[in-house]
Amino acid sequence: MPLRWPRRLGLVGLALPWLLPYAWMVSTSFKTLPELVAAPSAPLPSGLNLDAYAAVFEAMPVGAYLLNTTLMALAIGLLQLALALPAGYALSKLSFRGRGLAFGLVVATLLIPAQVRFVPVFTLLAEVRLTNTMTALVLPFAVSALGTFLIRQALLSVPPQLIEAARLDGAGELTIIYRLLPPLLRPSLVAAFLFSFVYHWNDYFWPLVMTTDDSVRTLPLGVALLREQGTGVRWHIVMAGNVLLSLPALLLFALTQRQLIHAAAGKAAGR
Amino acid sequence: MRLPRRALLQGAAALGLGCRPRAAPPGRQLVRLWYTYGGKNRLVLEQLVAGFNAAQAEHWVQPVFQGDYYEGLAKLRTALAAGAAPALSHVVGEVIPYLAEAGVLEPLATRPGVDQLDLLPALGQAGTWRGGGQRPLVCLPFNRSTPIAFYDADVFEREGIAPPESWQALLEAARWLSTTDASGARRYGFACPIDWWFWAALVGQAGGELIEADGRISLGGVAGIKALELWQRMVNEDRSMKPPPGRDYNAWEATNQDFLAGRSVMIWTSTAFVRYLEDNARFNVRAAKLPGFVRRAVPTGGTHWILLRAAPEPEKAGAWQFLRYLHEPAQVARWATSTGYIPTTQSAVRRLTEAGHYAEHPNDAVALAQLDVAQPWPWSPRLFQLQREIIQPRLEAAVLGRQSPRAVMQDAVRLAQREP
Amino acid sequence: MKLLSPRRPTDPYLLLLPTLLILGCFFFYPLLAAGKLSLYSWDLLTPPRFVGLDNYRALWSEGLLLHSLELTLVFSLGVVTASTILGLALALLLNRPGRLAAFARASIFSAYIVSWVSVALLWLWILDADGGALNAALQRLGLPGWRWLSDPRLALPSLAAVTVWKLAGYAMILYLAGLQDVPAHLLEAAALDGAGRWQRFRHVTWPLLRPTTAFVTSTGAIASFQVFDVVRVMTQGGPMDHTNVLVYAIYEQIFLNLRVGRASALVVVFFLVLLGLTLWQLRLWLRREGAEGQSPPA
Repeated sequence: MPLRWPRRLGLVGLALPWLLPYAWMVSTSFKTLPELVAAPSAPLPSGLNLDAYAAVFEAMPVGAYLLNTTLMALAIGLLQLALALPAGYALSKLSFRGRGLAFGLVVATLLIPAQVRFVPVFTLLAEVRLTNTMTALVLPFAVSALGTFLIRQALLSVPPQLIEAARLDGAGELTIIYRLLPPLLRPSLVAAFLFSFVYHWNDYFWPLVMTTDDSVRTLPLGVALLREQGTGVRWHIVMAGNVLLSLPALLLFALTQRQLIHAAAGKAAGR
Repeated sequence: MRLPRRALLQGAAALGLGCRPRAAPPGRQLVRLWYTYGGKNRLVLEQLVAGFNAAQAEHWVQPVFQGDYYEGLAKLRTALAAGAAPALSHVVGEVIPYLAEAGVLEPLATRPGVDQLDLLPALGQAGTWRGGGQRPLVCLPFNRSTPIAFYDADVFEREGIAPPESWQALLEAARWLSTTDASGARRYGFACPIDWWFWAALVGQAGGELIEADGRISLGGVAGIKALELWQRMVNEDRSMKPPPGRDYNAWEATNQDFLAGRSVMIWTSTAFVRYLEDNARFNVRAAKLPGFVRRAVPTGGTHWILLRAAPEPEKAGAWQFLRYLHEPAQVARWATSTGYIPTTQSAVRRLTEAGHYAEHPNDAVALAQLDVAQPWPWSPRLFQLQREIIQPRLEAAVLGRQSPRAVMQDAVRLAQREP
Repeated sequence: MKLLSPRRPTDPYLLLLPTLLILGCFFFYPLLAAGKLSLYSWDLLTPPRFVGLDNYRALWSEGLLLHSLELTLVFSLGVVTASTILGLALALLLNRPGRLAAFARASIFSAYIVSWVSVALLWLWILDADGGALNAALQRLGLPGWRWLSDPRLALPSLAAVTVWKLAGYAMILYLAGLQDVPAHLLEAAALDGAGRWQRFRHVTWPLLRPTTAFVTSTGAIASFQVFDVVRVMTQGGPMDHTNVLVYAIYEQIFLNLRVGRASALVVVFFLVLLGLTLWQLRLWLRREGAEGQSPPA
């Protein structure tokens, strides 16, 4: 049944509060400083002026930062899966003393943001000379409480008979964990990975405090640099950086939209 | 399922990638420089570093961004605690006494060529702190500024007003220049960040000292109260001063923006923004000295270079060479003219004067001339604490929350004197 | 829930070892360190000095502790309530086939993908009292503008609105998934019984969505309790401390005031409060898990 026009407009209208800010971001990024000072809230730029983008590329090695960011987020996401699978398996399928405690410990860490624990972690990593390395960015996030939790929940719906059958076939625990289970858990694994990837891709705080060297810096740090303290707001440049920072995330979203939404949905349904 | 194995391999590859810190070219001593600028200042600093790296073949300065002033400082401290501090960094003046007393700063007095630095007295250690000249030298001025007034000369001319020379004149001018147009939009005569720095300027003008000569913390005494009263009156009673939003640098940005957009006719801000304001205003921007009350006074601000004692000697030696390079007239002049900060050496000022810079940029001349009334800060390890914990949080409450200035300042002094 | 006995008794522990090792190093050790440091006065430079409970006392007597805690709770409550209601409403309105609806869903969810820093910078610019787009739009409509971020009464609600803007799409997606699980025959049966739209929602859909609601609210609570980037970028805790939420207060104590001890005391309090909330939440989840004998909400 085709929708009538008012209905259609209504649907788009619902999305407007989300679309307009993006439009504003893009529009601002094409303005020039004099334009911005003269009429800061003019809806459209006078033309497709790319000066702000040029300024962003001049201010930072966009490509190198992009690579660092991607590698870091990729490594964190994959490492989290690799560790969450055995942990989730033990927590959901095996009987042993301390199961409840172990589960509680994992869940408790959901609540501890990076801002409250970076000082001891920094000194710890500095003692073993690991600050300024990818390790300092990746290792502290190798375990995701949420990821472990989600995979454990998903495993609850895997029938134990399946595992018993595999055991009878002579499969070791690691084979079960890394070969038998992943295909069954695909939506949850994809969900855990994508959410972790996006979260760490966007992270500003940890890379800022853990690195003192440009070679391992990430894109959000670079964008933060575009704000010149006090001088006056150069919104066109900041917004150009913002466009560059959000574009890859939005692109990834567009490409994996189905999995991501399906994944998010699977999360809620516990499948 | 292949994913996990590939995952582990890629993870390992990624881990390995970052393990190699970028090194200096062979045969050169690496000098790590931690800085805390974004935007234009950063670009100019990087150009100066590139100039130094090209001008000699012994050292290699590597500049690394560390967040804003405060983030940079926190990282410096964590790095010191972890034994990973760089040789060279720059920090705000308010924390230098604290860092010096903690023993982490390298004394500079015995470094070669230190006598040849012809620093402007008001901007070097000697003039920045009371008795700074008698203490061991631990810092050199870098981006240095003072508060200054900028005004829309076109409006001033039209209204037949001269830049105010006294608080009374400031009150009258701000009131006169404040108008509300038909649509209800208000143009303010005056705007200024509700910030420690400008409060300190007012305290100085009202004849107060933050810490008395005998070491007692008075926070200006009556002068501290008078400063708050002036702001309160302009914001709440006269509605002639626009209180800018946000804390720290947000407020400064908003103040500049208000001025450029014509929402305020006169602002107090940093001398450092002179180029930015001149370039982006659609009217004539003129600078004026701050007015006086019982006297003329401005504090100085910005950052100073420091060498970290914990760094290896060859790196510190390289850092010192870089500092000497930076203090050559050409570099000082370049830094000052491309950023708007005040040149820090007499030779650079001479050079700029001879090149006709001050004739061409009269606003820069005002900033330089105002150094005559620059007030030194007290040399106290608690200076930054007075700023961050005692004064700054109370300014907003007093001015916007309309609390009694007397009660606010009494409370502040009580806390400052009690707190270790 | 049937559990298998491990092949070797040590297996479960070995499988959990890497996870617990990482958690130990990067979560529990820092917490223990915070517990210890909260009894010291330390500026990261000079040696720590034991001060007993002085840090807690100072936080209490200056009112920072209660103030921050209250702000955080209010903020969190507002964000969770608003994003849950908005997410549910959007899900109900957009739960239909067609490209246009899919486009609208994707647009709304995309905010969840963009970084907090980006979102904060973008809204800082939009909410700018003078040059910002929102006040400009209001003025064009003949309405007065507001000082969204500098008016003490508006600042926290403004930050909450931005947070809701970012999180609502996520709640919507979760609810859309929940709606797929509402059996059509139940709704049809209710309709046959003469139940109106509201009654069907109230008595069929809403109860069946309860597990989804539990998940939406608890993840929302965690996210809003940890709010930091928006505060850091947009208000720095001001005006007049009206947005000085806990995590920002911790950051401020370390970075701006050089007080690691006080920050650590805040960390301890922050953690205890959160732990209490989670244990309570967890009990709700696990109880349901036991009762229904199958997968819980998450």
